[in-house]
Amino acid sequence: MIEVLSRGLYTSIQDLGRFGFRRNGVPLSGVMDRYSAILANRLVGNSEQEAVLEITHIGPVLHFKSTTEIAITGAGFTPTLNDLKVPLNTRTYVPENSILKFGHPSYGLRAYLSVSGGFISEKKLGSYSQYSGITQKETIEKGDLLSLSPSEGIPLKITASVKVPRRHFSSESIEVFAGPDYHLLPKEIQKNISEAKVTVTSQSNRMGYLLAGWEGLSAKGIITAPVQPGTVQLTPSGQCVVLMRDAQTTGGYARVFQLTEKAVNIMSQKRAGASLHFKLVDQPK
Amino acid sequence: MNFQPTYQHFGENGVLINWPSKIDPQINDEVLRLDILITKTFGDRIIELVPSYQSLAVYLKEVESVSNFIELLKELPISEDRRYEKVSRLITIPVCYDPKYGLDIEELALANKITTKKVIQLHTKEIYKVYFLGFLPGFPYLGGLNESLYTPRKNKPRKHITEGSVAIGGEQTGIYTIDSPGGWNVIGRSPLAFFSCESSLRCLLKPGDFVRFSSIDETEFKKIEAEVANDTFQVGKEVYHD
Repeated sequence: MIEVLSRGLYTSIQDLGRFGFRRNGVPLSGVMDRYSAILANRLVGNSEQEAVLEITHIGPVLHFKSTTEIAITGAGFTPTLNDLKVPLNTRTYVPENSILKFGHPSYGLRAYLSVSGGFISEKKLGSYSQYSGITQKETIEKGDLLSLSPSEGIPLKITASVKVPRRHFSSESIEVFAGPDYHLLPKEIQKNISEAKVTVTSQSNRMGYLLAGWEGLSAKGIITAPVQPGTVQLTPSGQCVVLMRDAQTTGGYARVFQLTEKAVNIMSQKRAGASLHFKLVDQPK
Repeated sequence: MNFQPTYQHFGENGVLINWPSKIDPQINDEVLRLDILITKTFGDRIIELVPSYQSLAVYLKEVESVSNFIELLKELPISEDRRYEKVSRLITIPVCYDPKYGLDIEELALANKITTKKVIQLHTKEIYKVYFLGFLPGFPYLGGLNESLYTPRKNKPRKHITEGSVAIGGEQTGIYTIDSPGGWNVIGRSPLAFFSCESSLRCLLKPGDFVRFSSIDETEFKKIEAEVANDTFQVGKEVYHD
C-alpha cells in the first residue's frame, strides 16, 4: 500500500489504454510516453500492460507502507527515497515505511513509476487508465491509498538498469506521415516542412498540444471524421494541435499529419516553450 | 449511385476508408455496412473500428501490414453485401423542454423568431438518424434537424452541462450523454441513461439507430428518472424501415 502525501502537479494511474471502445466515443487514454512506461515495467519484471503512475512536471510525495521494488523512468527528475538519491532507469528496492519524493525534472516532462506487480485501482472497460467521465478520479489525490498487486515474491537478484538515449528528450524533429487531409496543408508549408518551426504552448495536456508558429496559415474544416493520438490538426483560424492519448475519437479539423508512434512518445516529453519541427517520412509498409 | 470507397494509410496501424465528402444518410449506410462486414471478416486481426459520417477508421493489430490489409479490403464483396435488407431501431427519447432544464430554449426561440412551443413541436416531429458516436462517450451525431432550428453555438461555452441535456449547435442536435463542458444551446433534458460503464459498457444508442424526441412535463421527468435509477424503465424501441 502507498499513501499519497502530496499529489504533485498532475499524477495519474495509466496503463497502455482502453482499447475497443472508441466506436462508443471513449478515448484511448493510457500512458503518454509508452517507451518510458514500458521500460519502467520491464525493469521490475512486470508485463508491459501493468498500470504505472504517470508523473507530470512536479512529482508527488509517496509513503510506501509495504516493501516492494520500483523503477522510475522518463523525465530527468531527481527522486529520493528516505532522502537518499534514487537512480533513474534502475530497479530499486523499497523497504516498508519509506518516503519517495521526486522534485522537478531537469529535462523532459513526464516520469513513470512502476512497482513490482503493478498498481491496482478502479478498472473500467478493461483498463486502469484514469480519465474523467470513465473513472471516478482523473488523477490521484492527497490521502489516496494506492494498492499494489501482490508481487511475485522473491526479489530478483540481478540488478536491472538501462541507459536511455538523450535524443528521446532533446530531439526537435518530430517524424510524421502525411495525414488524411495533407492536401489541405498550405502549399508554403508543404514545400519546406522542416523549416516551418513550431513552439509548444502552455495550453497543452493529455488531450492535445497546442502549437504556436503557424499563425496566418489555416486549413478549411472537414466533415467530422476519425482522429487518433498523434493526429495533427490545422484549424480554419490557424491553430495547430497535436492530439495526444486522451484525444476525442472524431474531429472536424483538417488532419494534415499523423505522428509516428515513436514521435508521440517524444512529443509527450515536450514542455511549453519547446521548439520543434515536423519531418515527413514515407507511409509504413 | 456508385459509392465505391477509397483507402488510405492512417498512422502506423490504421486504414482510413473514405466515401464522398458529404453528410448523407445513404453514404453513412454504406459506412456502417462495411463496418459490420470488416468486423465479420477480419475480427481477429483488428483492434477496433470507428465509423463516422462518410469515413471508417480500421485500427489494426500491430503485426498487420497496413498495405497488405488495404489489398484485402479492396477484395471484400461490398456490392453483394448490399442485398441484405437493412432493419434499424427507432428509439423514443422523452425530453422535458421546461426552461428549468432547457436553459437556452427561450433565447433560441427568440433568435429564430418562433415561440418555445414551436421549438418543441419542430424538434419532436422529426426522426433523426444516429450517424455515429463521438465527441463524448456515447454522444450521438444526429442528422435531420429542422432548418428553422439551426442556431449558432454559444459564444462562451458552459463549463458544465448536465448529463441528459438535449441541445442544438449549428445545424446539429445532440444529447450530452455525460456531464461535460459544452457550447451548444440547451433546449431540454432527458431522464434516460445514455452511457454508463459501471460493470460493463451500457450505451443506449448505436450508429444506424433512429431516434425521436417526445415532450414530457416535469412530473413525468421525475417519475422516469426514478424508474431509470431503479432500472425498471422500459425505453421505447421499435423496428424501423427508413
